[in-house]
Amino acid sequence: MTRSPLLVAAALLVAIGAAGPVAPALAQAPVKIGVLTPLSPPGDASAGQFILRGAKMAADDVNARGGVLGGRKIELVIEDDSGTPEKGAAGFRKLATQDRAVAVMGQFHSSVMGAVQDLAEQFKIPVFSTQASAKGITERHLTYTFRTHVIDPDRVALWNRWIKQQSFKRVTILAENTDYGVGVIEDAKKLAAGMGAGVELKTVIFDRAVVDLTPQLLEIKSWKPDLFINVGIGTPTYLIVKQAYDVGLFPATPMLVSYDLPARPEFWKNLGDKGNYLTFITYYHPTMKLTPRGEAFRTKYREQFKEEPVYGALNGYAQVTLLADALNAAKSDTGDNLVKALLAGKFDGWNGTITFTRGEGPYWQQWTPPMLFMQYTRPDQPFTEAKIVFPPEFKTGELLKK
Amino acid sequence: MDAYLLSQYVLSGVVIGVVYSLMALGITFIYGIMKMINWAMGEFYMIGSYVQYALLATLLGPGQWWIALPLAMGAVFVLGLVVQRVLLRPMYVRGIERRDEYATIVTIVLMVLFRNLAVVLGGPNQFAPRDYARPTTLLTLPISGNRFVALLATLVLLGLFYLLVKRTWIGTAFRGAAQNRVGIQTAGVDVLRLDMAAFGVGVALAAAAGALLAPDFLVYPEGGAISTFKGFEIIVIGGLGSILGSVVGGVLLGVIEALGSVFLSPAYKDLYGFVFLICLLVIRPTGLFGERERTV
Repeated sequence: MTRSPLLVAAALLVAIGAAGPVAPALAQAPVKIGVLTPLSPPGDASAGQFILRGAKMAADDVNARGGVLGGRKIELVIEDDSGTPEKGAAGFRKLATQDRAVAVMGQFHSSVMGAVQDLAEQFKIPVFSTQASAKGITERHLTYTFRTHVIDPDRVALWNRWIKQQSFKRVTILAENTDYGVGVIEDAKKLAAGMGAGVELKTVIFDRAVVDLTPQLLEIKSWKPDLFINVGIGTPTYLIVKQAYDVGLFPATPMLVSYDLPARPEFWKNLGDKGNYLTFITYYHPTMKLTPRGEAFRTKYREQFKEEPVYGALNGYAQVTLLADALNAAKSDTGDNLVKALLAGKFDGWNGTITFTRGEGPYWQQWTPPMLFMQYTRPDQPFTEAKIVFPPEFKTGELLKK
Repeated sequence: MDAYLLSQYVLSGVVIGVVYSLMALGITFIYGIMKMINWAMGEFYMIGSYVQYALLATLLGPGQWWIALPLAMGAVFVLGLVVQRVLLRPMYVRGIERRDEYATIVTIVLMVLFRNLAVVLGGPNQFAPRDYARPTTLLTLPISGNRFVALLATLVLLGLFYLLVKRTWIGTAFRGAAQNRVGIQTAGVDVLRLDMAAFGVGVALAAAAGALLAPDFLVYPEGGAISTFKGFEIIVIGGLGSILGSVVGGVLLGVIEALGSVFLSPAYKDLYGFVFLICLLVIRPTGLFGERERTV
């Protein structure tokens, strides 16, 4: 049987006609960005909620300004990784295959980030660490991995400077058995050599699932440290503070919490007076001068939630807005073009310009925010009134010891 | 290692072991009467901690923990009655062939359901009631006031439980059901109602542990997971069905974990109890106070 050329031409015309109305519809299809973050235990669910708040506000802002790529809206697809690598990997697969997300942000736990970044390479989708700080994440020099958060060796180097400045001689680190905790211990041991003679370091790694740390804290107390560094994430951080207080280790011995959990509104509710004198590392302070974009976000956040934003929300906001900027710069939503745009561009962050370069070691597609050591000096003290005790250039008060 | 520090480690293990034995007692009691394992025990512990927190944060105020405790136990007791009546009783009245598998599936589903309900209703964050008492010292051990209160309250609850089982009519019925379910039915005891009461009492004991430890171990959806594992370890060490075994097993587990985590490594704290348990089972398969099944 032969086909008439006329029939073929007619069929083609019908096909083109049918496809015509579909093309604009495709052009207006939303650009999906995955938010893969811990929203339930055993992950640090509170951290995930703050990141999500920032991401949602960013998507609303971008969409209110007309969207990306000539009018396409940003649509966030939210997945809970529960802070576990297996759930993180399953969530990433869903975002990549079912939802067709063009990028994924929101990563908080280093162990989860370690699991999903291989999938990012496989699916050619950029993945952003929002608050996962293990150095191995960027040290692997993967094409689709980006981070706008501190790296653990920098965190350790800074607290080593503080240890020197405060003349602490016996330092204990109690760390959870995750990529983050174990990584911090390794970095601390390596960098301790450079601190010169006279500083002794005792490191203890505990199982993150354990809730009673009394024997370890008694052992640490008997060692008589003059600084105790708490490297728990989420619930273990609180448990360590409470139990260290109960055995009489803290606040007699100053305690440094390794990240910004004490900046959260629920901190005093969970710890009561036991949180007083706590020193902690944070990446944002309410007195900081922000970019116009960061300032607008801060004002809107305060109006919407009636509280001060925390760093996770600021960083979540910055990552979604920079992704929107990168999509516009790339004029495409494919992973390869997005990576090129991210490497070539300069992006307006919450407190400065964000750029990604391919540097040595962990400084690969990495942008680092500032770090501050803050201390609460009275119970129920608002985060806005906590003193900055280090580094010297930002200091607003001296470390208070009990 | 000086003796003073060693005594602190041992005491810290004893204290936490005694409190965990409440959980084990609940598991073994339910098993003794109903011949089923309640895998959702940790979730009743978690619910107990939530109820305690909610009562203290809203109705009673922070100092009224001693009123909140029986209320939390009562609330979970009622929940236990409902769960038993609706979900577990059918396996005893409808002649279900694989009763153990049925109970396992139902209680595992309950575990997932309660955890997710806690996330939906209370959010994923941690909560903590204010301290029940100021930190104190127990012999050589500096101890949280909450844990000291938990220790004393546990001892009182264990005493009350002993009196209930040994000195009351229902206690005699419980013991009868534990020995021979058919036998006590011939004596006119409604064994199905007895099951309901046993399940309620068992989960109320778990709730008590959750409520007592809430200020120290926090209140959150997965808060009961660890205590479930401890409870099961304790009953296997002490011997399934033995009340004395629950207490001795709890103390042994607490001390072994405390010493193992200090002298070996805290990274494997949960492993030491299991290693001890395996060694014990090789020597004494019924546990310390368990008895061999007698069949005629």
